[in-house]
Amino acid sequence: MKVKLKLKGIPLESGVELERKAEQLPWSSEIFLMSEEVGYTVASDSETTATKEETEIEIAIGIDIGTCQCSLAVWNGSEVELIRNTRNQKLMKSYVTFRDQSPSPVGGVTNQLSHEYEMLSGSSIFNMKRLIGRLDTDPIVHQASNTLPFLIQTLGIGAKPFLAALVNNMWRSTTPEEVVAIYLVELKALAEARLKRPVRDVVLTVPAAFSRFQLTRIARSCAMAGLHVLRFMPEPAAVALLYAQQQLHKDSIADSGSEKIGLIFNMGAGYCDVAIIATAGGVSQMKALAGSCIGGEDLLQNMMHHLVPDMDTRFASRGLEEIKAMGILRVATQEAIHKLSFQPSVQIDIDLGNGTRVCRVIDVQEFEEINKGVFEKCASLVTQCLHESKVAKPEYIDDVILVGGCTNIPKLKSIVMGICKRNESYSGINPLEAAVRGAALEGALASGVNDPFGSLDLLTIQINAHSIGIRADGNSFVPIIDRNTTLPARREMLFTTAHDNQTEALIVVYEQGDEQQLLLGYFKVVGIPPAAKGVPEINVCMDIDASNMLRVMAGVVMPGSGTKNPVVPLMEVRMPTADDGHGLCADALYRSLGSTLDLVTLHNKLNA
Amino acid sequence: MASSFAVFRLPEVFNHRARIDNLSRPTSKSIAATCCMRNPDQKGGRNYYDLLGVTVNSNPQEIKESYRRLQKKYHPDIMGQEGHEHTILLNEAYTVLMKDDLRKDYDASIGHVRVGFGGDELNMGYSSWNGPFRPQALFVDEKACIGCRECVHNASKTFVMEETTGCARVKVQFGDDDTSIEVAVESCPLDCIHWVEREDLAVLEYLNTPRPKQGYGVFNQGWERPQNVFMAAKTFQKYQKQQQAESLRKNVKHDVEPETEAQAQARESASLKLKMERFSVVWEWMKKVSFK
Repeated sequence: MKVKLKLKGIPLESGVELERKAEQLPWSSEIFLMSEEVGYTVASDSETTATKEETEIEIAIGIDIGTCQCSLAVWNGSEVELIRNTRNQKLMKSYVTFRDQSPSPVGGVTNQLSHEYEMLSGSSIFNMKRLIGRLDTDPIVHQASNTLPFLIQTLGIGAKPFLAALVNNMWRSTTPEEVVAIYLVELKALAEARLKRPVRDVVLTVPAAFSRFQLTRIARSCAMAGLHVLRFMPEPAAVALLYAQQQLHKDSIADSGSEKIGLIFNMGAGYCDVAIIATAGGVSQMKALAGSCIGGEDLLQNMMHHLVPDMDTRFASRGLEEIKAMGILRVATQEAIHKLSFQPSVQIDIDLGNGTRVCRVIDVQEFEEINKGVFEKCASLVTQCLHESKVAKPEYIDDVILVGGCTNIPKLKSIVMGICKRNESYSGINPLEAAVRGAALEGALASGVNDPFGSLDLLTIQINAHSIGIRADGNSFVPIIDRNTTLPARREMLFTTAHDNQTEALIVVYEQGDEQQLLLGYFKVVGIPPAAKGVPEINVCMDIDASNMLRVMAGVVMPGSGTKNPVVPLMEVRMPTADDGHGLCADALYRSLGSTLDLVTLHNKLNA
Repeated sequence: MASSFAVFRLPEVFNHRARIDNLSRPTSKSIAATCCMRNPDQKGGRNYYDLLGVTVNSNPQEIKESYRRLQKKYHPDIMGQEGHEHTILLNEAYTVLMKDDLRKDYDASIGHVRVGFGGDELNMGYSSWNGPFRPQALFVDEKACIGCRECVHNASKTFVMEETTGCARVKVQFGDDDTSIEVAVESCPLDCIHWVEREDLAVLEYLNTPRPKQGYGVFNQGWERPQNVFMAAKTFQKYQKQQQAESLRKNVKHDVEPETEAQAQARESASLKLKMERFSVVWEWMKKVSFK
């Protein structure tokens, strides 16, 4: 199933302008040629690319898909280079516009908007990073469905939300995966045009708060776009790698290989991550990692609700008028928040139609009061991370590294600096480009590139952001791999049966999410020899490799049988196996099976 | 740790007992990884210390540096998927050795004990133990040793040549079988290999290490060790006992007057307990090991 996707070229500007750009950007003419061949394929098509790169190493490119902006970077042999689009932008807006003429939606890489309102006309889909892999029971989805100027319908049953864009006064359905894939196709075409080679391997930066299920959705989008994800990298890990490189350069000058402790605070439009790292000699070792789905979008939503308190009911119907009003409100609020970073107060004066006019002056105190909850959450993330990293005192932190668009907000800066008891943040890093640069470094590393000058003599030792475990001991979550465990990791745990003569056991694998556990998948261990409860030993082993892939293995041993060989063949399952609607699955499992296939932890086995 | 099948065990670290062939992982890549992991196992049991390339006495800083150096070599980001198994081992070893309590338990479980005598700053005994403790231990009087390498030749797992001093020393107590050790002791032309009491070993080894000596201007600087290490050890132990007794007496004296007897007793026992805690920890391991 191949769908041809034509890319829109450079928008027609004045001839002189175009010529000047063509001079600057030698590839701008090629993008037309290349774009004809780019296919939008649903299945991953490996046959085209597999044969070519035998002689040369293909360097994986780094992609930072942001909620608001995306960027693309690659190791060019001596340093990391950000790839600019035909409009000479390094940071490209993340959205995809659906058009009615042909099945050719266009994204922010190639498309030029005459005005930002055009993006908010209902035909553009954005903020997908906050929606991908989430179910319609998720509060994040509910918030989004009330505030985004396109259609998100939720039924609250634990299934995928319905998503649609307004095209020619008709709602055209799509999915977050599809939108991200369309965008990635454009990014891929851009990279191929620039590098003059096919691009397949990518390193993607993701928020620490992303669940494994969300990662599979992103991986699916990549597969749809013909890309292979070499590594998913939490954004702080990518920043840590860049920091390690910068420290390496400093070390060689000053010749001091002492360890430096850094705190990375990354807050963009959609997510907030905090990490503590220890860096020495080009190796960044992550000590603690925490993340949450809060970001500039929350600030924006709170502010919009503050300006128009009855917004949820007012915009419930999603007619053309409502969408226009929502667009106006969104743009105005966004501008106001930006301005409040530099000035003490801002005037908002907008006409929402239907005789409603919002005319107010908002000052910084008011803004901070409205978003108190968000700021508190950020502070708690930082303190939690400090606590978990076992850095005894905030004073031991050498550098506070602020990354992401939201760190421009003075209040947020002062919160983080206040907790760390510092006056100055680390200045050597561009807050908007750090993550993608780190991803490009990782891409070069993981592709096996060697740098003669030692600039790639780097490593980030990553840790696991969420604990993973199984359901046992009644209905409780028993973690097997704890959070903040160094990757790659392997842990095992012994369980036993809950009933006499139980011959089957269900292994239900969960990941500890922000508030509740998320189901990753389940499988049955069968053929347990009948025995009294508590006798058979069921060994559950979890293994996460460097590319963050999780495998769960299970086997059964009967003690006293004289052999330590498993009685039934071992099972090895790649997780997650659950697909959309996995919330429903968990409920159904519990309803239909009850406790018949339960497990109990076997505690005193090690001392026996 | 006994019951669990080998597949899930990290091959080198946990399987001191019977090894069962690795059955899982049908993919060719992981078989390769398993195979290459098996070689070091055959060379002789590697433990966490060998894995990280550190000694039983290395401090956390050294372990950390070594860990990072090895990670740079074996991490899957650099080495590819083959580095997976090894990096898991490195992580496991690092986690254990960096946590003091886990490290102590681990030391006890493998029979390698950092034999110390109380004061951490003096924890300088350098030989480790292979197998259970025995009442006697081997000790090379390095002052007398002429560096003939006879002992290293006869019992290479027990003795090593110290390159900096040119003398032999015991690296692993009972690293070889009893006969080769016997032969090695006999073969020494100067009879400088001694059987000593296990309790004295740490002090002897500590005093045997050359340490920088105070110079006067440019004169007399350098390294020194006691002329007679056995005499020095005796004096040292006597001095230590005196100090301990004195500090105990001091505490008792202070406490008796203003307090009731029960209080004094409680306090005394508490302070004693505090003092003895570090000793008792050592005793705990010893008990654990000897009862096994």
